[in-house]
Amino acid sequence: MIGGFLDYSPGDSFLHRLNPLAKIFLSLMLCVSCFVTDSLYFCLFMILLDLAMAAWAGISGRAMAMLEALVKLSALLFLIQVFFIREGNVILLLPMDIRVTDKGALFSLLMALRLIGATMPLALMLSITRMNDLSNVLVGTLGIPYKYAFSLTTAIRFIPVFTAAMAGIIEAQTARGVSFDTRNIFTKIGLIFPLCVPLLVTSVRKIEGAAISAELRGFNLRKRESGYKNYPIRAADIGVFLFAVTVAVLGVIVP
Amino acid sequence: MILFDNVSYSAGGTKIIKGVSFEIRRGDFTALIGANGAGKSTLARLCNGLLKPTSGTVRTGGFDTASAKTSRIAKFTGFLFQDPDRQICKNSVRDEIRFSLECVMEDRDEIEMRCERAIREFSFDGEREPFTMSRGERQRLVLASVLAAEPELLILDEPTTGLDYRECMYIMDCISAINRKGATVLMISHDMEIVQDFAKDAMVLNDGMLLAHGRTKEIIRDRELLARASLLPPQITDLALVLGEGYESVVTVGDMVSAVKERSGSKR
Amino acid sequence: MIRISGLSFRYRGGSEEALKEIDLTVRRGDFLGIIGSSGAGKTTLLHAINGIVPHHFRGEFYGSVEVDGSDTVENRPEDLARKVGSVRQDFESQMVSSVVEDEILFGLENFSVPRDDIEHRIADALDKTGIANLRERNIATLSGGQKQKVAIAAIIALMPEILILDEPTGELDPKSSRQIFRLLKELNEKHGITVVVVEQKIMLLCEFADSLAVMDRGRIILEGPVREVLKSSREMESAGVNCPRVVTLADRLREERLYDGPAPVSISEAEAMVRSITG
Ligand SMILES: Nc1ncnc2c1ncn2[C@@H]1O[C@H](COP(=O)(O)OP(=O)(O)OP(=O)(O)O)[C@@H](O)[C@H]1O
Ligand SMILES: Nc1ncnc2c1ncn2[C@@H]1O[C@H](COP(=O)(O)OP(=O)(O)OP(=O)(O)O)[C@@H](O)[C@H]1O
Ligand SMILES: [Mg+2]
Ligand SMILES: [Mg+2]
Repeated sequence: MIGGFLDYSPGDSFLHRLNPLAKIFLSLMLCVSCFVTDSLYFCLFMILLDLAMAAWAGISGRAMAMLEALVKLSALLFLIQVFFIREGNVILLLPMDIRVTDKGALFSLLMALRLIGATMPLALMLSITRMNDLSNVLVGTLGIPYKYAFSLTTAIRFIPVFTAAMAGIIEAQTARGVSFDTRNIFTKIGLIFPLCVPLLVTSVRKIEGAAISAELRGFNLRKRESGYKNYPIRAADIGVFLFAVTVAVLGVIVP
Repeated sequence: MILFDNVSYSAGGTKIIKGVSFEIRRGDFTALIGANGAGKSTLARLCNGLLKPTSGTVRTGGFDTASAKTSRIAKFTGFLFQDPDRQICKNSVRDEIRFSLECVMEDRDEIEMRCERAIREFSFDGEREPFTMSRGERQRLVLASVLAAEPELLILDEPTTGLDYRECMYIMDCISAINRKGATVLMISHDMEIVQDFAKDAMVLNDGMLLAHGRTKEIIRDRELLARASLLPPQITDLALVLGEGYESVVTVGDMVSAVKERSGSKR
Repeated sequence: MIRISGLSFRYRGGSEEALKEIDLTVRRGDFLGIIGSSGAGKTTLLHAINGIVPHHFRGEFYGSVEVDGSDTVENRPEDLARKVGSVRQDFESQMVSSVVEDEILFGLENFSVPRDDIEHRIADALDKTGIANLRERNIATLSGGQKQKVAIAAIIALMPEILILDEPTGELDPKSSRQIFRLLKELNEKHGITVVVVEQKIMLLCEFADSLAVMDRGRIILEGPVREVLKSSREMESAGVNCPRVVTLADRLREERLYDGPAPVSISEAEAMVRSITG
């Protein structure tokens, strides 16, 4: 499932019901704290926190799938990094003067965990926030100038359109007999490559179609006040803001 | 050809297919009918392994779909998606049909021959850009590229949407011909007249459960069964059912004319 | 309400004209059904009414299209959009939101429908199209037919003066198809909404539409009240269109000199016809 990660997953949990602003802020702070920290344990703790929150929002399954994908990606990152850092005590010496040092291993591990810890909260936030709510608060509450918000919200609106189109096309080609279901990642990239241009053309056509339909329903008449829903900030949201700041501060001070 | 053994499938925490078992034999022509959202497309995807059952087993052409690759099953299975635009990925009609063939066969000459034949038989312009064609024309293109390979198994999700009557009949005749040559057909359709005219067997799916699996001509006269699945009998059958006694064997317009003639004759 | 005169249109890069000298008048409160072979130009004709042609699809445009007295070429599509609600054939790409409720809300927000109205408009539209239970669902997880109902609900909620629908029941089951046409009829009769619908299911058109237009290769070859048009079953066949089977039945009974009345368009009328013969 390529399209699934960013799709909204409906629910009624505490996290779902938070003000979209609180959700954005929390996920940004979680993300930032992973970037600024130098502690492996802190990073690990943050990943556990992400998983716990996912469980709370009832999307554990998706979080685990996401974690799996990210672990694979960061393992790759780890391998690339670990051979390039040559300072510190050698803990493993391979032929051709390739060496792995303790410092290099720790640093690469930290980078890998950071990547996971920084990506998860953003992706999870998108899973429990409706695109519509997100764009509405950007325009309505944050007061982002209409002109910029217009382009941004348009882009955000079409993310699901785009990912769904992509997933659908790959599924269709598999059914036709193209071996997208191979386990060999290189074969897979080799297969996707020649399809890239047509995939793009197809997706652009779909988006064009959506743009026409949006216009037929008065998208160009939209004003800042058009948003129907209100997004009041409640006590719970303030609590979340405070929590987010605390986490970020901890990220800086934990040794 | 297709064997479902107590198959269930869940997505997003909802059970969509609920313990379905059936067998479709080689050479069968089976229609899968049911209300919107009953799970027909999901069931079709389970058949060729695009989806794997949550529990139970699906065997297609002898392969267990849980372990076999979809691309392997695709070598002998033609699959038509409900939305034709999903499949189209080339910039001309000819390339699109050729690509479909290349996925399942090797022989260059054979591919060219079949490709040109499909273009001729469906009277396409081979250079036409697929996305400037009308919806019905795109539907025909996708059908042509699935049918050109003459697969052993055809899984068709609403093949006649967007086609006019004449084209419906043409397509259905093509499918019938392939079926007579020995291919197995599983066709999802909402058009009861087409189901009645072409499918020997029918399966009724409702809310993820199989309500009935049997001869089309019997299922289509079972008003109560159809009503439970949000379906209506085809028009002439409906009329025969309303008229009741004496019209039990009426299927076609011709039957109805003779039945009416007989009864008016006996009155005079 | 809609006046089309001498309309011809050729898509840029198209080899032939998609529309050829179309003349068509639709009065306020009409319910017009359009049927015809695929590629006949039905979608293009609807696009000419909602302004997508020539504003989005460029090409050679001759003749004129007037909607409610103003010319579509001179009007901006978004102004036209206030009057004309369009359900497009390619509904899969019509969706702009990820959640059903937001999809319905989208147009309502854009047209600045009063806040107090919005909730009942959403509930009503979902209810009438039979998808109230899908309100919170992610659109990507819906079945084809469910998506099509969402597309219809999103336009119905706007209550436009003119509704144009392009094969709105293409992927719907028989019961839902009838439900949608009953809904269109209700909007047409109760609220005076003008309805123009392209549809391949001739039976539905015969039962619910007032008038029928048959298109073939860019032209309107037949047009008039439903029962009048049904008399020309030969011409319809040449355009790739069939008559409902009860109409064919009536024709056959006429040939057998058993029947001499008007063609039935519904099961109950057909029943009356047969009973009148057999007593
Ligand atoms: N993630 C999900 N969560 C809840 N329900 C889902 C999910 N994914 C699919 N469904 C439901 O599963 C059902 C089966 O869908 P499917 O596409 O198989 O229906 P279908 O019979 O082909 O209908 P149609 O005639 O409209 O094409 C639908 O009711 C759909 O809403
Ligand atoms: N963007 C385009 N560029 C060039 N030609 C086009 C374009 N769109 C449609 N056409 C052509 O114009 C003609 C009319 O197309 P249109 O989509 O109006 O047909 P339709 O009657 O709606 O058919 P269907 O029943 O298949 O939807 C067709 O021959 C089609 O190939
Ligand atoms: Mg389906
Ligand atoms: Mg069309």
